[in-house]
Amino acid sequence: MDNLVLVGLTNVITFTNISLILGGTLLGLFVGAMPGLSATMALALLLPLTFGMNPASGLSMLASLYVGASYGGSIAAILLKTPGTPSAAATVLDGFPLSQQGQAGRALGVSLFASFIGGLLSGIALLTAAPLLGVLVLKFGPIELFAIAVLGITIIGSLSQGSVVSGLLSGTLGLLLSTVGMDLITGTPRMTYGVINLFSGIEFTVALIGLFSIPQALILIENAHGAQKVASKITDRLIPPLAEIRRLLPNIFRSSGIGIITGLIPGTGGDTASWFAYNEAKRFAKDKSRFGKGDIAGVAAPEAANNAVVGGALIPTIALGIPGSSSTAILLGALMVQGILPGPNLLTDYGDVTYTLIWAVIFANIGLLLVGLLFTRLCVSVTRVPDSFVACSIITLCVIGAFAINNSLFEVGLMLGFGLFGYWMNKAGVSPAPMVIGLILGPVMETSYQQSMLIGQGNVSIFLTSPIAVVLLCIAVFSILQATPLFRWLRVALRQRTQPE
Amino acid sequence: MQIRGTHAITLLSALMLSGAAQAEYSAADEIKVLQGFKAGGGSDTLAQLTQPFLRESLGVEFINEYIPGATGAIAWTRLTQQSANDGSVISITNTPMLMTNYIMNDAINYSIDELTPIANVVTDPGVIVVPEDSPYQTVEDFLAAAEERPGQITVANSGVGGDDFFSTIMIEKATGLSFQKVPFQGDGPSATAALGSKVDASFNNLGNVYGHIKSGSLRPLAVFTKERLDILPDVPTMIEKDIDVVAGSSRGYSAPAGIPDEARDELIAAFEALKDNEEFQQTAQERAMNLDIQTGDDYGQMMQDMEGQFEEIWADVKDEVNQ
Repeated sequence: MDNLVLVGLTNVITFTNISLILGGTLLGLFVGAMPGLSATMALALLLPLTFGMNPASGLSMLASLYVGASYGGSIAAILLKTPGTPSAAATVLDGFPLSQQGQAGRALGVSLFASFIGGLLSGIALLTAAPLLGVLVLKFGPIELFAIAVLGITIIGSLSQGSVVSGLLSGTLGLLLSTVGMDLITGTPRMTYGVINLFSGIEFTVALIGLFSIPQALILIENAHGAQKVASKITDRLIPPLAEIRRLLPNIFRSSGIGIITGLIPGTGGDTASWFAYNEAKRFAKDKSRFGKGDIAGVAAPEAANNAVVGGALIPTIALGIPGSSSTAILLGALMVQGILPGPNLLTDYGDVTYTLIWAVIFANIGLLLVGLLFTRLCVSVTRVPDSFVACSIITLCVIGAFAINNSLFEVGLMLGFGLFGYWMNKAGVSPAPMVIGLILGPVMETSYQQSMLIGQGNVSIFLTSPIAVVLLCIAVFSILQATPLFRWLRVALRQRTQPE
Repeated sequence: MQIRGTHAITLLSALMLSGAAQAEYSAADEIKVLQGFKAGGGSDTLAQLTQPFLRESLGVEFINEYIPGATGAIAWTRLTQQSANDGSVISITNTPMLMTNYIMNDAINYSIDELTPIANVVTDPGVIVVPEDSPYQTVEDFLAAAEERPGQITVANSGVGGDDFFSTIMIEKATGLSFQKVPFQGDGPSATAALGSKVDASFNNLGNVYGHIKSGSLRPLAVFTKERLDILPDVPTMIEKDIDVVAGSSRGYSAPAGIPDEARDELIAAFEALKDNEEFQQTAQERAMNLDIQTGDDYGQMMQDMEGQFEEIWADVKDEVNQ
């Protein structure tokens, strides 16, 4: 066993593989930073290139690409308010306000370090506890997944800054839109109006690009003739002071934990994990009012979480041969091409190759820190470009990104539709974040509910048979109550009773 | 972006693999391959397996275009109704999805009559697997349990319209039993549900669960093939149990209807040649792909048979599924 760990390590530490890791990370950063181009897409395109390489080199490159893309999404999210990947959507909420306050460098630096620590922790978890954590994965079936989705939906309540009603409206709209497409259980198309492009539902990334990026571009154009921009001056340095990192460390550790666990569970990934982490960071914060207005903790949390997902999602992949996300499904494909059949024997029978993959993930995170510092410094120069040019580039990237998802113009039109709607939401003061959560979790919730009902012969009490589900649902109820004045009333009532004495 | 990327990769691998091109393809210098699923999926795996060999024998470049959506229907509608039928465009066709798409949905309006079947390449046979700690040791145990508790034995499948969904119904019809069918989004999640004992059994495909069968975490009860498989000599077929179910998930290539005969013959000949290509067989085996090469009219017959079979089954169960 120890032997295999060392074999994996020596496989990775060669000049070729280290260069491939650095190159892969750079490519990942680039792909991640572009809205619409995702890690999954880049992995799939790079996969055939690795067929001719030896396993260690191929896996090193793919793993580093995956790691790089997981961080890259935050660059555009912070600088331009346009998340480069779905999992960077939560980073926008506090990252962009920070950038507007002239602290883009600080936000990017914290995002990079949080990603690095999150990724490294998940790599270590992968190396040390994969077989242990892998068993946990099997405990999560439809019933447990439904409870997770319900818990996730409660985040909408806490995200509704300002008006709760408009937040709930936005979230409900997201849930409603997530029902478009074929019903999993009956195969009946719903709300598709005979358009077969809608049969697989609304591609979530398309909605995300439209809702966040297009309104931002339009607003940049609106303000292009106004006062000179204060927003994007970089006055601070990228490497965060040690004291700040130390202060954020509990948050980063918690968020990494959330990322690893969310990554573990097949069916949930970086997009979900980042929202969970953001929400918990807010729950544990002393001053909740600064969230959404530029709290650095709101950047550290989602970024630590979405990079921790990489290792988390690989745990079931290597411990059981079950891919934890669409990206790891492609990595599993890369293993199969090397003659490895997915199954629970990856760590034993094929240990040399598997440990190579694990070490590649760990080294890719170290590579990320180095390449990321250089790349991010370069990206920051985007802020010196006049707003109107930036706006045009954003729209161009959005069109390319939306097209690239399914190679079809239909998605481009849909993206623009969401863009106009998002622009209206922006003017009306309705946050698009709850809608995005609705779109992410809606399909998970609906599918797992229907499956649970089939398994439980239509009896709702099936949800009470699983301890995990019961605990998660209780937390969900608690979260909802937390958003109501109930606890305040209770506290007042309690104080009144104790005071007379 | 994606198209260009693939193109670059195609060229690159062409450089790496460039061998002597023998016969020239008469219809075009480039063949566009429409894929109805995302890059990196099962269809893409087939493309990466076969196309380097076809490139050599036909002397053409292959350009993959990924058009995911509606379980392949968008790509197949484009193949049959919006593509040049001069032999420059072909598509990877997945059965039974290719037919069940339009059998089950009126909004999808292509049919197999609008295409020229070239060749089926791989078939991943269907298999019944149960969790390691399941009380069912044999397929008889499993069927007996369904008889005892009708409609209560939960069986996972890869989704409504997939091969596993239909093979469950075929067994139900043949035996008069009924299972509680639980659809998942693909073979992977369906197998995971069985691994975690969330369902009593999973109707799956062998390539997807073979690793688990080998390591003992899933137990195969029966395979849906005509004869026992060499790699699972102890696992009975359903036919041995007098239940006539042969099913699997197959992938091959088709062109639009009406392509020039010469082009059709050249394509078919190229696939026929794969049957005797040892290097190809070897590569397929390494990638755990079960070859089942059937070309031209044989592939067409295979599609017709499936179409008839699934139309009949769907007419029977349509109302029950849609409630």
